[in-house]
Amino acid sequence: MNTTEKAGPFANSAAKPAGKLAKSAAAAALLTVVLSGCSGSGNSGGDTVTITHYTIDSPDRTFVEKLIPDFEAKHPGIKIKVTKAPYEQFDSKLQSAIAAKNSPDVTSQWGYGGFMEYYNKGMLMDLSPYLGDFKAADYHIPDNVMKIYEVGGKTYGIPLNSYVSVLLYNKDMFDKAGLSYPPTDYEDKSWTFDKMVEDAKAMTVDSKNLAEAQYGLDFGFGERDQRPQYFGANVYSDDTWTNGGKPSQVNLDKPEVIDAYKKIYGLIWDQHVSPSPAFSKSVAGQFGDPFLSGKIGMSVVGSWSLAASSDFNFKVGVAAVPQGPNPKVRSVLYIDPLFVLKDSKHPKEALEWIKYLVSTEVQKKSIDLSGGNPPVNQEAAEAYYAHFDGIDAAQIKQVYEGAYKYGFESYNHLIDNYSQINELFINELASVENGDKKPEEVLPGLQQKLQKLLGRVNK
Amino acid sequence: MKRTIGASQSRAFYAFISPWLIGFAVLTLLPILASLYYSFTDYDVIHAPAWVGLGNFRELFHDEQFWNSISVTLKYTFISVPLTLLLSLLLAILINQKVPFQGFFRTAIYFPSMISGVAMSLLFTWIFNPQAGPFNYVLSLFGMDPIPWLLDERFALWALIVMSFWGMGAGMLIFLAGLQGVPASLLEAARLDGAGRLRSFWHVTLPMISPVFLFQLIVGIIDSFQVFTQAYTITQGGPNYTTWFYVYNIYISAFKNFRYGYASAMAWLLLAAVLLITWFILKASNRFVYYEGSR
Amino acid sequence: MSPSATAGLQAQPASRAGRREQLWSKAVSLILLLLVTAAMLSPLAFMVSTSLKTSKELLIYPPQLLPDAPAWGNYAELFRNGEIKFGQQYMNSLIVAVSAVVGTVLSSALVAFGFARYRTKASGFLFLLVLSTMMLPYPAIMIPQFLLFTKLGLHDSLLPLILPNFFGSAYMIFLLKQFFSTMPSELYEAGRIDGCSEFRLFWNLTLPLAGPAMATVAIFTFIGSWNDLLTPVLYLDSQENFTLPIGLASMMSSKFRLAPWNLLMAASMLTAVPIILLFAVAQRRFVEGIVLTGIK
Repeated sequence: MNTTEKAGPFANSAAKPAGKLAKSAAAAALLTVVLSGCSGSGNSGGDTVTITHYTIDSPDRTFVEKLIPDFEAKHPGIKIKVTKAPYEQFDSKLQSAIAAKNSPDVTSQWGYGGFMEYYNKGMLMDLSPYLGDFKAADYHIPDNVMKIYEVGGKTYGIPLNSYVSVLLYNKDMFDKAGLSYPPTDYEDKSWTFDKMVEDAKAMTVDSKNLAEAQYGLDFGFGERDQRPQYFGANVYSDDTWTNGGKPSQVNLDKPEVIDAYKKIYGLIWDQHVSPSPAFSKSVAGQFGDPFLSGKIGMSVVGSWSLAASSDFNFKVGVAAVPQGPNPKVRSVLYIDPLFVLKDSKHPKEALEWIKYLVSTEVQKKSIDLSGGNPPVNQEAAEAYYAHFDGIDAAQIKQVYEGAYKYGFESYNHLIDNYSQINELFINELASVENGDKKPEEVLPGLQQKLQKLLGRVNK
Repeated sequence: MKRTIGASQSRAFYAFISPWLIGFAVLTLLPILASLYYSFTDYDVIHAPAWVGLGNFRELFHDEQFWNSISVTLKYTFISVPLTLLLSLLLAILINQKVPFQGFFRTAIYFPSMISGVAMSLLFTWIFNPQAGPFNYVLSLFGMDPIPWLLDERFALWALIVMSFWGMGAGMLIFLAGLQGVPASLLEAARLDGAGRLRSFWHVTLPMISPVFLFQLIVGIIDSFQVFTQAYTITQGGPNYTTWFYVYNIYISAFKNFRYGYASAMAWLLLAAVLLITWFILKASNRFVYYEGSR
Repeated sequence: MSPSATAGLQAQPASRAGRREQLWSKAVSLILLLLVTAAMLSPLAFMVSTSLKTSKELLIYPPQLLPDAPAWGNYAELFRNGEIKFGQQYMNSLIVAVSAVVGTVLSSALVAFGFARYRTKASGFLFLLVLSTMMLPYPAIMIPQFLLFTKLGLHDSLLPLILPNFFGSAYMIFLLKQFFSTMPSELYEAGRIDGCSEFRLFWNLTLPLAGPAMATVAIFTFIGSWNDLLTPVLYLDSQENFTLPIGLASMMSSKFRLAPWNLLMAASMLTAVPIILLFAVAQRRFVEGIVLTGIK
């Protein structure tokens, strides 16, 4: 889990032909217990094993249902059942399913919490004994990505999708302001944070009238506690990344962290180039992304927003996140793996399903079915880069490669008890985001509360 | 129609009430006891409950969030409930003046109560929208600057309190029935004794409807101890925990932070508080509430 | 306040003054009521008008009272848009609410009949127990109940929302017991002489007479179940199993698109329809029920 520069370029992973799938082990001994809930759709009995795949109830995830017939045809002894929950309740439903001895077999860190939380709770199964002749290279998964989900030489997850931070921009707004489009090359030294703010200023109309108002930049780099990282300040002590996600120290009172937050919220309240929460919620609703409204010039977001680009009623472009104060980190990586849960009675069959999902052919197919999920399989990734109408494949590829090079894994995957920490940041920083208070007024209190919270959960 | 008889009757009695008996045992008593047990444990549903004695309660005592949720809930309760009650009583009195279109007013004022809590919450999220919403627009007609109601920690709870006024229709109906139940002969007698309208209201009408008022008060308080919908739908407890209601705190502790034991301790305190309030109000009411007929 | 027929004959002048005073107070009341009513109804008017706006019109400031051309398509969109699953959720809500009504009415009537008709050593105490659970806050018992139902494998199904209704509701038992107690015992004697079993006494004699009371119970059970948010939040996982309240709430909180306020308001309107219909059809029962139970 040492991650500071985990993602080197992927391209050097050897491109061998896909290895033959590990033979499914004798299922006969295991099949007496059929995992199923009450709906009984997986209750076909007989000589089959049912694997439950638990996922978020949104179209970019539930598309796996469409893959099931093909998989089941190829693996006669295995049935797949998909169970779902809304994003906000993903973790709690998972916990209660486990408590009810109704644990799903396969899932990912699709809720607020992440790998570290699951791992520390002992929810994950060590896959090493079942991997057999599985090689990451056969699936074109870069070794360094594969390693993210290894702890002490044991493998707990197989990477599936890799999202990164991207800068999306509204081409129409750039054209109107007479600005040139931002570059896709991370090595372009002219593309800096200050330049971005300057461009943003040119597009901003800071008005109380919603019909006129528009803003140049929505800077959504990671979650609130990760954002200072872009400015070279770290909220958590470095041991967090090596000790299982339990920060021994919190730095919210350090001058560099305070300065970072001043910069972040200064975009709204000093520079007036970013929308206030009031504006965002007015145009986008409680949780929606204001970029979709066409009133935001640039938006630093996770690349999942790209999947919705076909619905935008304006032309959209993709660019590099500009060079900021931190020379090493400019992008947040969200590598979603598939886990097998500890209570699974059929890890071997579950692994068959996972291997199926990361195979080149299925990863390619999944891009279209999901509306644009970025495959971790680098051979399939080419198809992903070319997936978006109106955006050049080479550009997306360049942005992705730069993001991998300057990427840092998302904090929510790395820190234990993340949902509680995140809740604290959201609430404590609300008054700063609203412009009622300055960061330096709020951060000392947040520092104390966070220390107290960590003291309790990590005791 | 009551009968006190032998074994076969007794068997019939238990047969008839068996649905409730079973339900009470399995869905009420058992959960109450289980909840009591959990409240003394650390329980994340994945590992077995670990006994911690009074640990949860001790932690609650020092938990800022816990006290905050109590203060939010009490503030909401003690502002919203009395105001809503008084307003609905006032409306009932107005309608009871034999005004024209009585039926229309009754229905119109009750109408918002027919919209579900979630729909109402959505509606008011939009109405309180700082920039596109009509509430600020109306205020701007009076020269006021837009207020970010639900997004501002100074105003969010107040916005929810204002929203609660749209639910006073039921109270109005109940008071109206109460007022109409005051015998005309009593009022007439008061009038003949030379009492003015205010005096006869104070000395005749008010005592007559005081049990209604009391009942409404209890139900109102107990209901608003359990506010959840608004916090879940509109504010998610924010901004800065200013709408972090008690039950929302229980919900988050149990179902988001996986502290079922800790949440059970809070649930038990809620149960105790509700019982205590009911008992206290009933006790205090003996002094000033008039019950028709006896006492 | 009602002018009585026996108003003193010799007090003519005072009475005229009184009448003028009354007229005044009526006028003031009327004006106040008009104002309050306008305030009460204006959010709903806004809801209707928003539900008929196009997404462009949503952002116009100052807010338009009326859309340029009513976008009725918003309502159709709710059912057409497969992602929202509104029709399915409407169905789920109906299934849950109707089952809740059937369950509560039947079980509460049974139990209430038991309490009304028999007196055993324990009946007084047991009835007190019923009464004491009337105020029981659901959140106080939801955690163990939740664990119980999940252990039974009933998560993400409508059953945890339906089943508890088949064990009687304290409120409704209380209400029906009051009603049954007013029934003349001669009725039962006659029935017994005809050889009716105790159950037949309940089923054939009592229930048919209890229509009005049961209608009240049915109405309020329906409303309670229709509007419930907390229980579905605990138990329901997938969108196609959602009931309307949680469906609406999650429609608003979608991370991946702008909040479709016009659709949300249209959905809210449609959600209110069954309740408004109930009110229109059974206004008297409705009002009576509110007055009797204090349920809102």
